[in-house]
Amino acid sequence: MKVLNARKINSLFTIVGYLFIWGPIVVLGIFSFNASAYGVKWEALTLKWYVDLFHTPAILKAVLRSLLIASITTIIATVIGTLAGYGLYKYKFFGRRALRMSVLLPITVPYVIMAGALLVYFTRIVHIPLGYLAIIIAHISFSAPLAVFVTLGRMQRINWSLEEASLDLGANTVTTWRKVTIPLLLPAIFASAVLIFPWSFNDFTVTYFVAGVGTTTLPLYLFSMLEYSLKPVLINAISLIFIIMPIFLIFLIYLYKGGFKQKT
Amino acid sequence: MAASKTGMKIKTKLRFLPTVGPISIWIVLFVFAPVAVIVFISFLATGPAGGILPKFSVENYRFLLFGESEYGRAVLRSILYAFVTNMACLFVGFPMAYWISKYGGKFKALFLFLVIVPSWSCYIVRIYALKQLVGYPGILNDFLLSIGLISSPINILYTPAAVVLGLIYIWLPFMVLPIFASLEGINPALLEASLDLGATPRWQFLTVTLPLTKGGIFGGTILTFIPALGDWLVPLLIGGNRVWMAGNLIEHFLVVRGKIAMASSMAVILTAAVVLLIYMFIKLGGEESMERIV
Repeated sequence: MKVLNARKINSLFTIVGYLFIWGPIVVLGIFSFNASAYGVKWEALTLKWYVDLFHTPAILKAVLRSLLIASITTIIATVIGTLAGYGLYKYKFFGRRALRMSVLLPITVPYVIMAGALLVYFTRIVHIPLGYLAIIIAHISFSAPLAVFVTLGRMQRINWSLEEASLDLGANTVTTWRKVTIPLLLPAIFASAVLIFPWSFNDFTVTYFVAGVGTTTLPLYLFSMLEYSLKPVLINAISLIFIIMPIFLIFLIYLYKGGFKQKT
Repeated sequence: MAASKTGMKIKTKLRFLPTVGPISIWIVLFVFAPVAVIVFISFLATGPAGGILPKFSVENYRFLLFGESEYGRAVLRSILYAFVTNMACLFVGFPMAYWISKYGGKFKALFLFLVIVPSWSCYIVRIYALKQLVGYPGILNDFLLSIGLISSPINILYTPAAVVLGLIYIWLPFMVLPIFASLEGINPALLEASLDLGATPRWQFLTVTLPLTKGGIFGGTILTFIPALGDWLVPLLIGGNRVWMAGNLIEHFLVVRGKIAMASSMAVILTAAVVLLIYMFIKLGGEESMERIV
């Protein structure tokens, strides 16, 4: 009897937790199909906000900017991060532990601190103009560590004797990398990219500090819309895109993982 | 021959360089250097126009911590809110992780994904979603009014309670994951043994399960307490300009007022608090809490 009660309480907490996490997002999604522009009352079903979205050049430009920044960030951060994860796992060298801790720094310290520090550094010390370059550099600093830890987490599950076999059989280092190591690392590379792309696309704090004028990414655009309360329902429509993207990416991982299991 | 052999040896020894080299350079250039710069600037005097004067001074620190009470209060408020957020996340997050681990069956991964997915969507969007639901004018208020449960709208926006609610909403998923990982790592034999030795389910939970998830709990604490402590968007968007936290001070001094030295001092104070807390949590939760956060 007691066990049943404990289980019921446990289930209750879990339901409350899920409702809390999903409730606001689901309501937001539903209201993006609401005809009323300002009210929070339901009027009628409409798709006009989604149509509007595609007729607002500022939004489309912001989306393109975000996509561009996220793509470049993903490529560079994934390469640097995966390499580092590989090195940290495979080689013993002086300062290995220190490097591991240092990589952790940008993702554990609150973003506002590091982003503020980068702004001061860019404008006062190294004179990197605020804009695309500054945003991409900043994004890589925060997202390469994600790739490092994703890779480190997967290294243990990889059968490294294949790499040794390749070297033993006379392939040189470059060939071994190309033909054996990279294919072995592919799941880690993919997982890193899938994590980094939405991170960069959705980031607000870091971008806000180093964007300067003229590089309004989608989250920055959303923020300005919210601040000046422009067309609230249009925000709902954009918001749904932000929510769909991670779900889509996770679905991709799911498929990929399933496919991977079948192969091995 | 000998020379080429030592050459080979050095080559093998330095093989790690191309792999960890790029990230090391990157971290030195774009993480350590900026941090060093703001630590240095934080000890410079602020000029009358807000610029930096090349003169050593601890005036910024004195001003922030003991000068205008509003700023010192924002720091204390951040610590309090982060603590409440952390406790609430633990209170809801632990049962969730426990439930998924125990009753999730073959849908464990799915239930876990359902916790993570929202945390992957845009931060601003999530805050806005919450604001639209619980604010006024808001959907929940409207609904409660129309069914007659309340007679006048309740406006919780721009209050400390709303800010804390927002913080819990944003950071809850990060508490569930580490605890779940910890629970999954418990050796089932230990649970069986405790039952065989006569423990009641409640006693078993308190003396076996809970101590064994300590690492996950402190890992989750690092992932919720620290970002909540440094959060500035939730207080900005949900708290209006009325409930400031430490992060808002950094943004305010840096972007709005252009007082770089003051902002740097604030950032250093916050970083010091963060480092101290992380150290404390790892000491309390053991090495495992470190592993659980990555």
